[in-house]
Amino acid sequence: MSSTTLAPGEQERARTASGRRPGLTDRAKAERRLGWMLAGPAFAVMLLVTAYPILQAVYESLFDFRLTDPDNRSFTGLTNYWVILTDWIWWRSLLVTLLITVVTVAVELVLGFGLALVMHRALTTLRPIIRTAILIPYAIITVVSAFAWQYAFALDTGFVNPWLNLGAFNWFGSFSPSIVVICLSEIWKTTPFISLLLLAGLAQVSEDLQEAAKVDGATWWERLRKVTIPNMKAAIMVALLFRTLDAFRVFDNIFIMTNGANGTESVSFLAYRQTISRLEIGLGSAVSVLLFLCVVLISALFIKGFKVDLSQARGEK
Amino acid sequence: MDRQLSTRAKVGWALGGLAILVYALFPVAWIVSLSLKAPSDLSNQQFLPTRFSLENYREIFTGNASELFLSALRNSVGICLIATFISVVLAMFAAYAIARLEFPGKRLILSTALAVAIFPVISIVTPLFNLWRQIGLYDTWPGLIIPYLSLTLPISIWTLSAFFREIPWEMEQAAQVDGATNWQAFRKVIVPLAAPGVFTTAIISFFIAWNDFVYGISLTSTERARPVPAALAFFTGSSQFELPTGAISAAAVIVTIPVVVLILLFQRRIVAGLTNGAVKG
Amino acid sequence: MASQSRSVRARRPRAWAGLVAAALLATGLAACGTESGPPTLSWYINPDSGGQAEIAGRCTAATQGRYRIETTLLPREASAQREQLVRRLAANDSSIDLMSLDPPFIPEFAEAGFLAEIPEDVATEVTDGVVESAVQGSTWEGRVVTVPFWANTQLLWYRKSVAQAAGLDLSGPVTWDQLIEAATAQNTTIAAQGIRAEALTVLVNAVVASAGGTIVLTPDAPPDEVELGIDDARGRRAAEVIQNIANSAAAGPALNTRNEDASATLFEQGAAAFMVNWPFVFPRGQGAVEDGTLTQSALDDYGWALYPAVDAGTPSAPPYGGINLGIGAFSEHPDLALEAAQCIVSAENQAYYFVTNGNPAALESVYDDQEVVQAFPMASTIRESLRRAAPRPQTPYYNEVSSTIQRTWHPLGSVNPATTPARTADIIRAVLRKEDLL
Repeated sequence: MSSTTLAPGEQERARTASGRRPGLTDRAKAERRLGWMLAGPAFAVMLLVTAYPILQAVYESLFDFRLTDPDNRSFTGLTNYWVILTDWIWWRSLLVTLLITVVTVAVELVLGFGLALVMHRALTTLRPIIRTAILIPYAIITVVSAFAWQYAFALDTGFVNPWLNLGAFNWFGSFSPSIVVICLSEIWKTTPFISLLLLAGLAQVSEDLQEAAKVDGATWWERLRKVTIPNMKAAIMVALLFRTLDAFRVFDNIFIMTNGANGTESVSFLAYRQTISRLEIGLGSAVSVLLFLCVVLISALFIKGFKVDLSQARGEK
Repeated sequence: MDRQLSTRAKVGWALGGLAILVYALFPVAWIVSLSLKAPSDLSNQQFLPTRFSLENYREIFTGNASELFLSALRNSVGICLIATFISVVLAMFAAYAIARLEFPGKRLILSTALAVAIFPVISIVTPLFNLWRQIGLYDTWPGLIIPYLSLTLPISIWTLSAFFREIPWEMEQAAQVDGATNWQAFRKVIVPLAAPGVFTTAIISFFIAWNDFVYGISLTSTERARPVPAALAFFTGSSQFELPTGAISAAAVIVTIPVVVLILLFQRRIVAGLTNGAVKG
Repeated sequence: MASQSRSVRARRPRAWAGLVAAALLATGLAACGTESGPPTLSWYINPDSGGQAEIAGRCTAATQGRYRIETTLLPREASAQREQLVRRLAANDSSIDLMSLDPPFIPEFAEAGFLAEIPEDVATEVTDGVVESAVQGSTWEGRVVTVPFWANTQLLWYRKSVAQAAGLDLSGPVTWDQLIEAATAQNTTIAAQGIRAEALTVLVNAVVASAGGTIVLTPDAPPDEVELGIDDARGRRAAEVIQNIANSAAAGPALNTRNEDASATLFEQGAAAFMVNWPFVFPRGQGAVEDGTLTQSALDDYGWALYPAVDAGTPSAPPYGGINLGIGAFSEHPDLALEAAQCIVSAENQAYYFVTNGNPAALESVYDDQEVVQAFPMASTIRESLRRAAPRPQTPYYNEVSSTIQRTWHPLGSVNPATTPARTADIIRAVLRKEDLL
């Protein structure tokens, strides 16, 4: 933020700089100042609603503090982190979260690519209809999606078991089937987002390149592999990054469908339970901080490891 | 493009389109069907009701669940509209600066937006809850509007700055050369070009705020501020032990209606908003 | 370039005005709700069929304008109700005057100072003639801290025709083993609740108590010194019984996700001829007859008895539940709230609540009320069950105890007498010493 503050004299010059043919530096200064004046509020709000709370969480995580027992609040250093990291529950919920993330993102990428291809090539008469349809899962409330899928698979209300001839199979009675249904709901809801990002990528691939490849006698599959996909790598990576981190926060579906039973607890759910259910603010804050670090780690992996260039994907030069 | 396609390819893509329709609408059709089931049909394990009934809708609008549902609906609409409005206004300025001006920290702002967008919401619920109860924002509208900005602002900045980058700003100068005043040039040339982007951003922001669940269940506790997704999870039947499947389905359908209406009206805009940023303008 | 930036600047004040307007609107909307006139007491209620709202109206009318009682609805799950209340109370919220509290959470509220004191004379008055388990449930460390309102208990429900066919005599005590045998022989099931929720703790506690055990021996000890009784011969015997239930053919479908509602559905559909459940199943059955999903003859076939016992020699220990009224410690009108609470729990209101909402009274005398007996032919069985009922562990750390039980005893099919009780005790201890997550 320091770049926004200019000495009074400089401000004076900056103002006069908006004249007809300003000196380069003055003009740049004026622009810089205006830039920060315009973007500053949004920047400040973003910091206020995230940076401040996470710092507060870091601070709280160093205490043993139970909301119903405020008199016994005491500083315990890194004890909370030690308790969490030596507990299998943390690692289990981390693994469950990773499992859900990997499964959903992988399926969504393939499915989303298919959807994008169809939308890209669909007849102009069909396109608006498909577009409308695909936006519905994207925009529907996750909780609604969770209920719809839960009721579809539930023993008493669901039609899935009779349709699949599964009798009294209890989808929410053990780990694997519960995860399957959770992933289904997650995939259904978020594939459209991926497919729309991929559609944008598809549109970026120049028709000339496609035509050239066609003239060269490349088959549809070869063109897809050699021309289309390499040219939309940036879009794919951005879609992957956003969805991975979004999937990593999975909470709503688990809350509604299993409430964490059968070991389906995700990291977000674990954090929620420590603070909101158990009222252990210190322990819960520590889980929150660890979750945050995981997200940072994943982003760093993507950006450094896979070289995701976000500016490029967004059309920045 | 259509003209170049063979009939076989046309049929193929049409079938693909049909598959997408089924994919997207099937679960929605299911919850609608469930909401129209009479109580005696709820556990019949069939997709369609044998007897159509509006009983579930009566329950949430005038019956036992109405107190919970109607206030939640009012809260959700109000809170989401205000949060959307604030974030779009803030994002508009930021996006303009990012798209048009050269200043240090541009990347910092975009990176911050990205970082906030991927922020694990649950991580800030605890500290916010602690702070809110101290300053009296707990279970109030502003108490939800402020954290909702963390959801809507980053996406608004990204979408809008991508959008603004595609606007041919030279046209404004061209208009000025043609004798238009600054304001006229701005209003006649830039506003029509920017408005669709702003509008689209607002819709997308609204969807995101409308979808929130974590803040909704953690930062509210009564019908004063509790939004719809949280209320859905708290619905009850005629006793504490009975599950109101029908009422939940009906409420789920009702809260999906505004979303569907927005999509039906603006589907082209929304897709453009999500994709235009990356396409050459 | 410069001209454009000017035009943008020209637009800014308007947008800022909009922003300010929005913020004002938001705070304005949040602020409305304070009004003048007689004080309004807010009563946080658990969901029911509208009975508490009706009683609030009646008591408001009875005060002739001195105060009004407004109800605010809490979530469905008992644990979620607690979360909502605790979060408000931790914020020293003065808007909570009265709250409907599930008994197991009362010690936590009392210990945290969330409950206003109840004077001796009122305490004596409101516990006079109240069934024993409800008195216990409203007490913490020897003091009455809440006002008993209604008391719930689970009965053994059965289809008379099936019990008869099995030759099972349910006029006297019955054991779980007998039930399993009868159900298996008749190719039917026992609907018990195995979902990972409070319902599971209710089941486990009832079975442990009937085996003669106690889950928490020293409920009021500091968290790191709490002594547990679950890991002894009686706890292991309870685990054995539960293992038998879960692994028999009589366990029925989807035991791992079955809650009270799903049990009632199974019982109505005839898929289960035996069921342990709260009395709400009876009015629910009557409703099903009206909706046409249950025949009148099936409803007439409903039988009820006291909760099953673990061994023939030891008495059964039915679950105790219900609601007691707490007075918010930060209430601005604690005297009025206390007065309102006394009005709410009047015998007349309890009878009304029992008849219309199916929630049994805490006052013993209500069970002799003609209307009650007519609406609930099993009223005397419920009273008897309440007299024998065993409360769940009354400790300020009930949430930890209950969550651990739900973690270690779910799914019921995996319960092992040799390891489950021991593991439960280990985890509770570690969690209370804050050495483990939960």
